[in-house]
Amino acid sequence: MSAMLQSRTLNHRESRLQRFLRYMRKDYLLYLMILPGLTYIILFKYVPMYGITIAFKDYKVTSDILSAPWVGLENFANLFSRTAFIRALQNNVLISIYKLIFGFPFPIILSLLINEIQRSKAKKFVQTAVILPNFVSWVVIYGLLYAIFSPSSGAIKGIAEVFGYTGTIPNLLTDKDHFRAVIVISHIWKGAGMGTIVYLSAISGIDQNLYEAASIDGAGRWRQMWHITMASIRETIVILLFFRIGEMMYAGFDQIFAMSNDLVISVADIIDTYVYRLGLQQRKFSIATAAGLFQSAIGMLLVLTTNYIAKKIDPDSGII
Amino acid sequence: MSKSGLRKRSMADHIADILIGIFLGILVFTTIYPFWHVIMYSVSDSYSSMSGGLFFLPRNFTLLAYEMLLKTNQIFVAYRNTVMKTLVGTGISVFLTALTAYPLSLSRFKGRNFISMLIFFTMLFNGGIIPTYLLIKSLGLLDTFWVYVIPGAMSAYNMFILRTYYRSIPSSLEESALLDGANPFQILFRIILPLSLPALAAIAMFYGVGNWNSYMGGILYVNDQRLQLLQVYLRQLIGAAGAKGALGDAGDLGPASRLTEETMKMTVITVSVIPILIVYPFLQKYYTKGVMVGSVKG
Repeated sequence: MSAMLQSRTLNHRESRLQRFLRYMRKDYLLYLMILPGLTYIILFKYVPMYGITIAFKDYKVTSDILSAPWVGLENFANLFSRTAFIRALQNNVLISIYKLIFGFPFPIILSLLINEIQRSKAKKFVQTAVILPNFVSWVVIYGLLYAIFSPSSGAIKGIAEVFGYTGTIPNLLTDKDHFRAVIVISHIWKGAGMGTIVYLSAISGIDQNLYEAASIDGAGRWRQMWHITMASIRETIVILLFFRIGEMMYAGFDQIFAMSNDLVISVADIIDTYVYRLGLQQRKFSIATAAGLFQSAIGMLLVLTTNYIAKKIDPDSGII
Repeated sequence: MSKSGLRKRSMADHIADILIGIFLGILVFTTIYPFWHVIMYSVSDSYSSMSGGLFFLPRNFTLLAYEMLLKTNQIFVAYRNTVMKTLVGTGISVFLTALTAYPLSLSRFKGRNFISMLIFFTMLFNGGIIPTYLLIKSLGLLDTFWVYVIPGAMSAYNMFILRTYYRSIPSSLEESALLDGANPFQILFRIILPLSLPALAAIAMFYGVGNWNSYMGGILYVNDQRLQLLQVYLRQLIGAAGAKGALGDAGDLGPASRLTEETMKMTVITVSVIPILIVYPFLQKYYTKGVMVGSVKG
């Protein structure tokens, strides 16, 4: 015991770096183990962050990043003067808000309803069915949408017949006025199932005695649902809500890219698809990078802000 | 089992039950029917299908579209590429994630907090499409198979899930192994991983499904048709280029072949989706567990 104390006091002059190197030599295998992952992160996540400097330079494909001249905020000024970008920003925000307003409550309501099912086999079946769309790519979903909503040969004709509708059917996939609705609804269709997993697992943790007690006190089914079930998952809801708000700058690249076409681009083009077109197709790297940087920066700001607010409300919540 | 069952069911309860049942029934129908529709359409005679409407059974069953598809070369190319991407990519990803999460789960690992923050930060902020593209270009990964599996190799989210799971394993196991002189690699592979199978299965699922469905890599970084992915091929088919573009020489549609573009699209969709539909019921259990493990703050 005293020998250890002695060696501690003998070494107290070594620098933090020396101490760190000593630990490294002792446990070098652990450092070896983390090396591939760390290399991957630094190479593919942090090195591109250096590329963000392109947003402040005039970068042409032929030159390399280091030698390109600095132009300050010129690219951003250019960016904000482009109507296509402003449009993309508007669409991005609008679509995110629609997805939040309509898409966020849906899994909650669905979970509450599924929870009401008596027979466990039926419950499992509904859950399995509802989660299925989550496993399929947006391209396939676009294909399914096409199969259903094509005015000429789609299933929609049969559905219209069932309801006695004999007028012309608009092509929802190429109709500007309805396309955002298609985006939001297909987003709900694909994602609702996933949401129910989280909420239902939270619900399954609720103490059954609470319901018994409430019943004895005379609370009916719906009051029980509101005061017990909903109240218990409130924290989960708040955390997930803030997650979504933080993600608002990202409105669904895979989805929009798969489903977008020239006819609807004015209402569906988001920042990511705009950056893709401007950067990789039109080769305007500097301005496209500026747009990407804007998106990432605002996105991070949103996450940090909502996390801060969430912590103010409930110190245990938040993702950071 | 359900809390409502503890009460006597009143008339209002029964009505509510029925309404809920109807609502969920319609929902389940909208979830399952589109897949059924597409499959039925693909095995129906093209000209009987043209009028559209609901398909519960094939109209004039025929496998003509599949015959035509099998004559096309590109479907095999695309399928092979996607299967390879899924197998190799998932393997690399699970391995890398399992390896990286272990040191970070050990409290004795100095630098653990720093590296964890480093990885966590990438979930908040990233370089963007353009800088990443330029990096991949300068690494010479454009138009190679490796661009499908390396740039997306590890997901920070999955890594943290696994790290949390590792931490839940009693440290006494590890400590006694250390006393026996085992090194971290031995401990990881002989003790920790066998005990982490549920979590490993879950992240393997996440990676696997992600790999099968993701196509932006194919759009952004690959132009070579020989490397084309299934989803990219499908998108080409359904999109503006249409069947002519995707089917190539074998694409002979029209009255002579009794096949329409529509049917071909349905056929390729079916072929893309069948593996998932078959595998899904078995994997759904692990997926549910995985999401639950991940939703616990780690």
